Amino acid sequence: MLEIKDLHVKLADEDRVILDGLTLSVPKGEVHAIMGPNGSGKSTLAYVLAGRPGYEVTGGDILWNGESLLDMGPDERAAAGVFLAFQYPMEIPGVAGITFLRTAVNAVAKKRGTKELTTPEFMKLIKAKGAELNIDVEMLKRPVNVGFSGGEKKRSEILQMALLQPSLCVLDETDSGLDIDALKVVSDGVNALRSKDRAMLVITHYQRLLDYIVPDRVHVLAHGRIQKSGPKELALELEKSGYADFKNKAA
Amino acid sequence: MSTTATLPTLKKTAAELALAERFNAVLASLPGGEGARTARRAAMAAFSSQGLPHRRIEEWKYTDLRSLIKTAAAMAATPVGNASSAEVAVEAATFVFVDGKLTSAPAKLPTGVTVETLAKSLAAKSDALSLARSKGIDAGAASILALNTAFASDGASIRIADAARPEQPIHLLFVSTGITSVRNRIAAGARSEATIIETHLNATGDTRQEIALCEVAVGDDAVLHHVSRVETAAGAVYLGHVIAEIGKASIYRPFQLSIADGLVRQQHWVTFNGEAGSFDFAAATLARGSGHGDTTMTINHVAPGCTSRELFKTVLDDHARAIFQGKVIVDKDAQKTDGKQMARALMLSPDTEFDSKPELEIYADDVACGHGSTCMELDPDLVFYCRSRGIPEAEARALLIDSFIGEAIDKVEAPDLRRAMSGVAEAWLRQTRRSAS
Repeated sequence: MLEIKDLHVKLADEDRVILDGLTLSVPKGEVHAIMGPNGSGKSTLAYVLAGRPGYEVTGGDILWNGESLLDMGPDERAAAGVFLAFQYPMEIPGVAGITFLRTAVNAVAKKRGTKELTTPEFMKLIKAKGAELNIDVEMLKRPVNVGFSGGEKKRSEILQMALLQPSLCVLDETDSGLDIDALKVVSDGVNALRSKDRAMLVITHYQRLLDYIVPDRVHVLAHGRIQKSGPKELALELEKSGYADFKNKAA
Repeated sequence: MSTTATLPTLKKTAAELALAERFNAVLASLPGGEGARTARRAAMAAFSSQGLPHRRIEEWKYTDLRSLIKTAAAMAATPVGNASSAEVAVEAATFVFVDGKLTSAPAKLPTGVTVETLAKSLAAKSDALSLARSKGIDAGAASILALNTAFASDGASIRIADAARPEQPIHLLFVSTGITSVRNRIAAGARSEATIIETHLNATGDTRQEIALCEVAVGDDAVLHHVSRVETAAGAVYLGHVIAEIGKASIYRPFQLSIADGLVRQQHWVTFNGEAGSFDFAAATLARGSGHGDTTMTINHVAPGCTSRELFKTVLDDHARAIFQGKVIVDKDAQKTDGKQMARALMLSPDTEFDSKPELEIYADDVACGHGSTCMELDPDLVFYCRSRGIPEAEARALLIDSFIGEAIDKVEAPDLRRAMSGVAEAWLRQTRRSAS
């Protein structure tokens, strides 16, 4: 279970408060969606969960399975099961995708105390997972994400997620930059990972993604805190009414 | 920018005086008869009148040897170091020179290759010490090359027969302690394809002062891979020179790995002698401590339709400094010249310095020439991205640094040689990381 308790976050090098008392729980086995207007703090929440430098937590806590994530580095969080699918996956020139994936998978295996994979085992695994996501292994011989289209980058994120077998998946605007076919492939990939042992937090601006990844609950984030929570139908209401209510509310 | 103008007379430095003394002490023991000795004395006199290159000579602006070199090391009377040809894990016909003297030669040479050592040819002819070419060489480099002539003790002259494709690379391994001056020649015959490896290492301690020269002539329609690896520990000095002439439709591909924890200066002069030649140069320079790694090159496009590429990458830590100076001269007849250079530095510490000076002198009107230069720190966003996938920070940094320098090393075509070069670079990078953590 993910428990975010009264979380206050500001930018590390300026006095701008972004999250202002955010409280949220996502039990294992559930998929929760976070929706909200631009600038509401959605991406900040994703980054703070993953431990990106540049943010300062000034109050509150983030517990994953009862343990605080705040004292862990990003790689320790990954080993603890946290995975962030980036809105803008980064390009790493000079590092072949396969090398990157293998280094990551084995680093996590080492920390989790599971067996590291041999090269043939690993190649077999990425071929199988890649086929599910329509990713050609040849593509992974190229440097990580370099020259990839928007859709290829997102599929490559979901492949990483499938390989690292996280227990808490955070998807930040996974639908941005995707056409409808790519959206379907990516959503299928995400849905394949839904399980009773896994919690997912799907961050999105638009309702469209939630037609494909149907959430158990929807939360509206505005002005740095959750303004409203409800069943999946809440997303449809928002689609009609927009975020105007929430913009006015705190203004 | 003329460097041939008379320079003001400077007071002799302690190092210059010591070099003259060292020269007098060893002259009688150097190879060659009276003719060679006369040539050596003349060269030493030329050095003494010019002195060590200093920052007022444009080409030496960032590498002021007058202030950087404080002493002259003793020349080892008899070879003291020992070397094993296994230093580069590559199958090759290896010549080992310890303290500037040949100590081991391969039992058998690959097909189409002949090698004569300088010490041997000097016994027969004193003009073995003359330079094939002196045009366009700046006053500072001319002075160091004079020093090379004065002290030259040995080296290899490699000849690849026309159309030969030797089945093995030729490897020249130099392991030195004190003042060492070596001189090599590579003459690649028409339509030949060969790989020459040069390795320059310290034997023991950090007192080496090595001056190396390699004259390269690539015949028409030939391909020459020239892979060099130079390592200097703090305190050591390596001054390397390559004077290359590229024939018609030939490809010359030098790769240069420099571990510049000491002082490394590598200067290249490249001239295209025929149309459609290609010069494809890549260099990786690694320096830490107060290391200093300078690569300076002049590329003369005198023939039309030639291509030149320079890729220079450097990783700097602590207070180290790297320099890349690339001058491309395109004569008015060298139409359709295609020249590009790129110099990139990765700075692991805020106290490092990278000086990059591209110079284009273009007299033709139909050319494509360009250059680029960057210096940067390790991108914190990329480190975070790697860490978010479970890769620990040290490993993430290592992956990113390896990939940065890998772009240059990937230019080495032969897989075993490429792996060997990667191995040397990675070992150095691991040491840097250890000292940092």
